[in-house]
Amino acid sequence: MPTLIVCEDANPNSPDCIYTGELIVPCAHIHPESSVVQLGSNFTAVCVLKEKCMDDYHVTANDIFWKTGRVPVPYEQYSVINRTASSVTFPNITLINALLTCNIRMFGQINRSVYGIRIISGLPPEKPKNLSCIVNEGKKMMCQWDPGRETYLETNYTLKSEWATEKFDDCKAKRDTPTSCTVDYPPVYFVNIEVWVEAENALGKVTSDHINFDPVDKVKLNPPHILSVNSSKELSSILKLTWTDSRFKSFITLKYDIQYRTKDASTWNQVPPEDTSSTRSSFTVQDLKPFTEYVFRIRCMKEDGKGYWSDWSEEASGITYEDRPSKAPNFWYKIEPSHAHGTRSIQLKWKTLPPFEANGKILDYEVTLTKWKSHSQNYTVKDTKLTVNLTNDRYVATLTARNLVGKSDASVLTIPAWDFQATHPITDLKAFPKDNVLWVEWTAPNESVNRYILEWCVLSDKSPCIPDWQQEDGTVHRTYLRGNLVESKCYLITVTPVYDDGPGSPKHIKAYLKQAAPSRGPTVRTKKVGKNEAVLEWDHLPIDVQNGFIRNYTIFYRTVIGNEIAVNVDSSHTEYTLSSLTSDTLYMVRMAAYTDEGGKDGPEFTFTTPKFAQGEIEAIVVPVCLAFLLTTLLGVLFCFNKRDLIKKHIWPNVPDPSKSHIAQWSPHTPPRHFNSKDQMYPDGNFTDVSVVEIEANDKKPFPEDLKSLDLFKKEKVNTEGHSSGIGGSSCMSSSRPSISSSDENESAQNTSSTVQYSTVVHSGYRHQVPSVQVFSRSESTQPLLDSEERPEDLQLVDNVDGSDGILPRQRYFKQNCSQHETSPDISHFERSQQVSSVNEEDFVRLKQQQISDHISQPYGSGKMKMFQEVPAVDAFGPGIEGQVERFETVGMEDAVDEGMPKSYLPQTVRRGGYMPQ
Amino acid sequence: MRAQRMQRTLLSLVLRLLLLCTVATGKCSGKYHELLLQLQRQADLMQDPSTLLDPYIHLQGLHSPVLQEHCRERPGDFPSEDALWRLSRQDFLQTLNTTLGLILRMLSALQQDLPEAAHQQAEMNVRGFGNNIHCMAQLLRGSSDPKAAEPTQPGPGPTPLPPTPPSSTFQRKLRNCGFLRGYHRFMRTAGQVLRGWGERQGRSRRHSPCRALKRGARRTRPFPEIRRLAPRGQPPR
Repeated sequence: MPTLIVCEDANPNSPDCIYTGELIVPCAHIHPESSVVQLGSNFTAVCVLKEKCMDDYHVTANDIFWKTGRVPVPYEQYSVINRTASSVTFPNITLINALLTCNIRMFGQINRSVYGIRIISGLPPEKPKNLSCIVNEGKKMMCQWDPGRETYLETNYTLKSEWATEKFDDCKAKRDTPTSCTVDYPPVYFVNIEVWVEAENALGKVTSDHINFDPVDKVKLNPPHILSVNSSKELSSILKLTWTDSRFKSFITLKYDIQYRTKDASTWNQVPPEDTSSTRSSFTVQDLKPFTEYVFRIRCMKEDGKGYWSDWSEEASGITYEDRPSKAPNFWYKIEPSHAHGTRSIQLKWKTLPPFEANGKILDYEVTLTKWKSHSQNYTVKDTKLTVNLTNDRYVATLTARNLVGKSDASVLTIPAWDFQATHPITDLKAFPKDNVLWVEWTAPNESVNRYILEWCVLSDKSPCIPDWQQEDGTVHRTYLRGNLVESKCYLITVTPVYDDGPGSPKHIKAYLKQAAPSRGPTVRTKKVGKNEAVLEWDHLPIDVQNGFIRNYTIFYRTVIGNEIAVNVDSSHTEYTLSSLTSDTLYMVRMAAYTDEGGKDGPEFTFTTPKFAQGEIEAIVVPVCLAFLLTTLLGVLFCFNKRDLIKKHIWPNVPDPSKSHIAQWSPHTPPRHFNSKDQMYPDGNFTDVSVVEIEANDKKPFPEDLKSLDLFKKEKVNTEGHSSGIGGSSCMSSSRPSISSSDENESAQNTSSTVQYSTVVHSGYRHQVPSVQVFSRSESTQPLLDSEERPEDLQLVDNVDGSDGILPRQRYFKQNCSQHETSPDISHFERSQQVSSVNEEDFVRLKQQQISDHISQPYGSGKMKMFQEVPAVDAFGPGIEGQVERFETVGMEDAVDEGMPKSYLPQTVRRGGYMPQ
Repeated sequence: MRAQRMQRTLLSLVLRLLLLCTVATGKCSGKYHELLLQLQRQADLMQDPSTLLDPYIHLQGLHSPVLQEHCRERPGDFPSEDALWRLSRQDFLQTLNTTLGLILRMLSALQQDLPEAAHQQAEMNVRGFGNNIHCMAQLLRGSSDPKAAEPTQPGPGPTPLPPTPPSSTFQRKLRNCGFLRGYHRFMRTAGQVLRGWGERQGRSRRHSPCRALKRGARRTRPFPEIRRLAPRGQPPR
């Protein structure tokens, strides 16, 4: 029974799962077995089922389906040929390398692969082209060709070769080098061989054109070996080159290619080919420079040009023989300072001849100095300078260089006398870099110039100017400096024309071989800073950091938040004024210096513009001060003029109770008092009342009394509108409506319904025992205090009074009521004034009190505090109540009897006196 | 009519001569002078002792002057110069061909006694020389069909024989050394003869060279005996 290969789950790319050789009988087979298909062609495969399988699995050709890889082939490409065979066609096949499998569907549902072939598409090989061969001498022949297009298939290239009488083994190209092959037999020269290439793959075989040649015509000879390069003593311009080359020269004619160059040159010179077109083993190269090292190389090939040039030989060098120096050395001098009188120290200096002019090794120099009508001095020097002491006369110096062969021509230099005046300078001196050298150009003077001397040195702040020099012919007006110049250095170049009678006037110029940006930028600083401008200044950069000609400066400045502003400044400037700055602003400024090749920033500098310009403060302050002074002066004058009024307001007279005459203050003698008042207030306005209550408390020490007075005074001055004042004026001021103004007067006139207060001070002043009881009178519309209405409460207070003595002081403030006062002090001052005007003696006493109060003021302050804390109602004692009643009575009588504006203080209390109202 | 017939005959003769001179001979060069020059240069190349004798002497330790005194060509190994000069061209080619066959046999025997490169190169040179002799014979024959070649006729003079086995190794070395020396001498002589062909041709330029060559040419195949020994394309071992 045939074995069905089941590969349903196997890798379809593995053909092993389809069939495994002879042991397994496949269930079908595919025709054709060949699977290489040409690109673009149509390919048809037929799968033929075996009868046994058809019977076992109940399948026919209709159950066949095809796959390429895992991808089913569309049914449109199928064709059922008969019951057992089904074909599939791939038109215009593309590049493919896949497994084509024949599959059946068993029992209508199980798919099985029954056979498979691998399809590979590609192209047949193209005819190889450009077949050529080369025979490297001593090696085997190698041929190469162009294989043509890509075939996408494994293609074998075989190089075939044969003589007329025999064929050689094929040369199969390796896979990695399918375009060449090296035969494995040695080349046989002078025997024609025919060579061709066969290219073959699964789709075909193609043969290249046959080429027939003598291998000697394809030979690449080994390079010659240079044996020697010899010079000739007789002729300093030749070198003879000898070599050995291929043994082929015994059989074939060779030609050579000889090249040479000086040792330091990079380009080769070619010996004319016609001079080397035959076999030879030596050649003499002519027209060479004396005492110059030359390098040679040589190659060869067949004379007829068939074959290939050999590789170049190894280089060999030789030096031509010496010749006499071909040119006189450049000669110049320098006068050195000399202390001897009548002589000069002259340093003669000259340049070593370049090799192409020295024509050999310079052994020494001969210097001859000749003074006019005198014999010569000869010197032989190996160095390139000679220092001699000469007189101030004119000298002629000659110089020759000597080598092994001979002397050079003489170089003549005239050293003028000491008083010689140089003239005729060159003009239009220019210096500029070009092609990495520094060129100097000038216009020759009108006179005939023998030669020019160019001197140059590096300008530096760190090192002195050490000049180098060179000489140019008198016909030259443009040359380049042949020294070892470096970039970014400033060179001071001097050009001096030399005439028959001596040197002309020199001309100088500065130049750079190549400029660069400065090494550092200028350091800017402020010279002066104003409200809206700042003057910046800086120093010129040192020459060592300039690296070029400073063309301009750029100042960059900005505020912390603002944009940067750039200002270009000419390089000749060292200061610049920034204008339109904002006052009271921090500015950051830096400066860059620019050469032709770029710029470099200097360090940043910050400064702050002032808020005011210079003098602006003075312009404001002085007028203000003047105005203040003027105002003050006016105020003083005003105060002086109005001193009485001011004094009344600020410094009221406090009547001295001790000088009061109670007796005069009697209801029967008011005219005196009120006459005074009339004199002061002719308009009838009684605007001030001052009440002094002096407690007749023997227990109280004298200073406390003074303090009490002082306290009143201070309260009156400092706290307007508060309940303070002398002798409880605040309390009295509560009755102000009837005191200070005409309105008050009117109120006073209508006080028939008001309650009047009066106080009688029992105690004396300053330990003075009043002779009589003192009465004080007040008038108020305020209702009586509870203590006054309830004597029983006051009784308790009286007891307290007797215990600690606080109460008597509070009696001054018995009117310190809870009601508000508007301007008690004013009333108080007016009253004080009133009192003062009434009794000058009281005023004197009050002054004395104030002096004492000033000393004991702290104590008075304590009393003030106490006053604020103790309720007035509780402070009043029964004695006080009685005084109030009496005082009130006086006031009423005064108002009623006199018909004057209502007043509480037309009281004049004299010592020990009482003036009943 | 007679004049026309003469003209036709003359033209036909000229064309025939030209055709014979440039007849294609398969892989061979159809140019006589080129082929002759190749033969001359090949002979020059093969007469150089540095190609075979010197390596043998160096390898076998025979480079002392005393030993080299004994390294002499044995008479009879190769045709003498006089004999070669007396040969006709076809006989000369035939003699060369025969001698080259013997040389190849000798080289085969000396394979172990020579540097491999020198041995291989020498063998290839001999085979290449035989190839050119074949081509020259074809050219002289005017036909490129090798089957049409006539049986090789032995040349005049002494026919070289393979060297007899020496009694001892040293003697064998000296014998081989003498044989190789004779080989180089023979090739030098052959070259001279071939150069003489060119000079003679130059002197008799008025005569038909092709006719003259053809007259003396025999059909020659290189190394008939060697070719029987080795398959085509395989060097004899």
